[in-house]
Amino acid sequence: MAEAAVTMPAASPVFDEAFLRSLSAQLGEREPLLSQRLDALRLLAQLPPPDRSSHLWRYTNPARLLPPQPVQAITGSGPIEGPELPEGGAVVVVASGRPPRVTISDAAAAAGLEIVPLTAEADAAERFGRKVDGTHGVFEALNAAGWTSGLLVRVPKDAVVPGPVHIVTMAGPGWSAPRLVVEAGINAALTVVDDHKGGGEGAYVSAVTETSLDPGANIRHVILQQLDAGTAAHLTARTGVGRDASLTTVLASFGGSVVKMDLGAILEGSGASSEIVGFVLGEARQHMDHHTVHEHVAPHTRSNIDFKVALTGRARSAYTGNIRIAKDAPGTEAYQENRNLLLSGTCRADTIPELEIMTDDVSCSHGATVSPLDPEQVFYLESRGIPQARAKRLIVRGFVDPALSRIPAGLREPLEAIIADRIGRFLMTDEEAAKS
Amino acid sequence: MTSKERAIASINQDYLEKYGFHDPEEYLLRTPKGLSHEVVEMISRYKQEPDWMREIRHRALDIFLAKPMPTWIDQSMLAELNFDDLYYYMKPPGELTRDWDEVPERIKKTFDRLGVPEAERKFLAGVSAQYESEVVYHSIREDLEKQGVIFLDIDSGLKEHPGIIKKFFGSVVPAADNKFAALNTAVWSGGSFVYVPPHTKVEIPLQAYFRINSKNIGQFERTLIIADEGAFVHYIEGCTAPVYSSDSLHSGVIELIAMKGAHIRYSTIQNWSTNVFNLVTQRAKAYENAIVEWVDGNMGSKVTMKYPAVILAGEGAHGEVLSIAFAGNGQHQDAGAKMIHLAPNTTSRIISKSISKDMGRSSYRGLVKMTPGSTGCKSHVECDALLIGAEARSDTYPTMEIAEDDVSVEHEARVSKLADEQLFYLQSRGLSEDQARLMIVNGFIEPFVKELPMEYAVELNRLIALEMEDSVG
Repeated sequence: MAEAAVTMPAASPVFDEAFLRSLSAQLGEREPLLSQRLDALRLLAQLPPPDRSSHLWRYTNPARLLPPQPVQAITGSGPIEGPELPEGGAVVVVASGRPPRVTISDAAAAAGLEIVPLTAEADAAERFGRKVDGTHGVFEALNAAGWTSGLLVRVPKDAVVPGPVHIVTMAGPGWSAPRLVVEAGINAALTVVDDHKGGGEGAYVSAVTETSLDPGANIRHVILQQLDAGTAAHLTARTGVGRDASLTTVLASFGGSVVKMDLGAILEGSGASSEIVGFVLGEARQHMDHHTVHEHVAPHTRSNIDFKVALTGRARSAYTGNIRIAKDAPGTEAYQENRNLLLSGTCRADTIPELEIMTDDVSCSHGATVSPLDPEQVFYLESRGIPQARAKRLIVRGFVDPALSRIPAGLREPLEAIIADRIGRFLMTDEEAAKS
Repeated sequence: MTSKERAIASINQDYLEKYGFHDPEEYLLRTPKGLSHEVVEMISRYKQEPDWMREIRHRALDIFLAKPMPTWIDQSMLAELNFDDLYYYMKPPGELTRDWDEVPERIKKTFDRLGVPEAERKFLAGVSAQYESEVVYHSIREDLEKQGVIFLDIDSGLKEHPGIIKKFFGSVVPAADNKFAALNTAVWSGGSFVYVPPHTKVEIPLQAYFRINSKNIGQFERTLIIADEGAFVHYIEGCTAPVYSSDSLHSGVIELIAMKGAHIRYSTIQNWSTNVFNLVTQRAKAYENAIVEWVDGNMGSKVTMKYPAVILAGEGAHGEVLSIAFAGNGQHQDAGAKMIHLAPNTTSRIISKSISKDMGRSSYRGLVKMTPGSTGCKSHVECDALLIGAEARSDTYPTMEIAEDDVSVEHEARVSKLADEQLFYLQSRGLSEDQARLMIVNGFIEPFVKELPMEYAVELNRLIALEMEDSVG
């Protein structure tokens, strides 16, 4: 795959001030938000464009993630069918340039769950950039300036929301930049499903999710990236994990055409823990570039990553995983595992699991493998009477199971069907693929 | 102050007493300070090199000047390196000698401390003692000559075998590979040239000792080793450096070529004093069924950047890197390995061990690459890091680029501190805390040490004990 142009033009080719003013008016937002957008636009002009010599951009050309023409207006997505309301939870449909549609179950409302558009929040400006500010990178600054939808999900102290909050974010045609802020109070518990859908050829997504966990809080953050083929997407998520708080991130990323994702947790309070369980599926010419980071800045923190990648066709994946342990984080344990399954001779997997450890009282390890389907496993299943094609499907299904099985019931079943279908396609021979 | 704290404080504080090498300077010829086409011209003319080599040098200097400094290393440390404040060539007194007796007395005294004559008496094949930028002592045992093995300093090699040198020089590490390879190509001086004829086994390791002995001297060693079909050679390079007052640069280029079925093992332990920048490019090309092994120990220097590589160019080739790094206070050991699988059924293994102590930082930076069509390849990478002291730092930056499905690639890394449980267990068996600590460290590096020839293993164990000193009472 020839990727000639490496750098993107400096300054902001994506939109100008006039666009931001009209977007702000369209969303009906308060004044501090507009000046915040303009600040971010100014910052954007100063940020160096990402280029391949910085290693997080080594495998993806940033220009592929940006609209070729400046954005003039947000047209918004078409009519959206909301998914079912999960029991005890809430459902939100977010579309560019229009207010989100929020349905909260009685049980969740009684527990204290609040879901509001950021534009309606009096102090919205202050809720921005706590975990991801504009200096994080060009795409984060683009989002800070030109976010097209903003949502705040909040659970107060001691609140336990019984069901999941399912947020469906629809990518519109053209540019969309959803922004999500999740805040969990002391000892609160919540499951958030951050579901990215829609898009298509010519659709560009630049999403940012910021989450904070107060002491003792417990959040399961499910990220589903099932954008339509043709979409180019950049997604950034950062979570601050407070004292004795616990975060589980479940990732299923298999949509889009060019996808770059930057997931991370900062373990800021003593005793905090974070786990990332995820899988990526790539087929045809999909380009998947995922980065995870666990930053330990407080003592006695724990983290674990189980990251799986299965590829077929001419798909390409890059995974970079970083574990950083600061000088002030003794007593830390951090583990990371990345497995890559290559199901065709023309796919490509790059993996860079990194450790940066600045103190000695740690226990830390990582492992990475790249291999085809294990013929011994296939043989074993065949010897038990399972036909070869099915045996292979079972093995790939088992490969992604650790993440899939942690998606809340009710949401998991439709996803299982999609994944099963995808795996079936993965393992088709060329003749079968030609026939279908 | 506990004994542990004392041990940490003492690291590299007493280099002079421990090693005590610092002889008066004495030179026949020295180029002016700094780097320019005039200096390059001067070096080449002085050495009476053929025109093609002089042109290679000039081209390389242009590449060096055009390339940016590497960005992945601590920039503040690298900033201390001033290319204009170095001498790029010095000619030591005395002509190239073959007989130990003819080596100047003062130089011999230094080698005595390194144990060269001792080794010579025992079983060394040839000693190529690089003093400053030139080889001053060179002996080849008769049976080596009878076997047809060429073991020369590279300047003599260029004079006597220009054809071979012209064919292979820069074929594995081209000048444009990286900034420091370009620098070396422009100003190289000294190093070894080894050619082993087909199906010849060199039974005894070939050794070259060298050291830097003057302020602001750059050493730009260039070594080229060719093992022809089915040949075997083990080459050992060891270095110890004296104390200096200002920073010094060592930037070598080592090229190994293992033809079909050949086997090359290259062992090195560097123990430069902690003001030396050690920026080395080591790379091998392995053809069909050839084996190349790098055994690499990094104990000294201020900054080391060294990533021994094997290009597995022929079917069935095998590459191996076994390395250890010890980073004490103020040291950054940025070591690693690269395995480039270009042919089917090639295999590679990397075992990397590092110890970071006090404010030391050691990093593993590696690459395993498999190109389309390199079917049936296997690679296994293992990194172990040991941290001693709350300020110690360890990094692991492995890169795997896999563009072929019929392969198996594994990487694992572990980082831990000296375990209290292990210390406690050993102490409960009657060892002092210091003895226990040394025993654990020795156990940690054991897989590396056992791959070394005996006298090197002894030397390394002594070095570790010195570095851990006070820990051993």
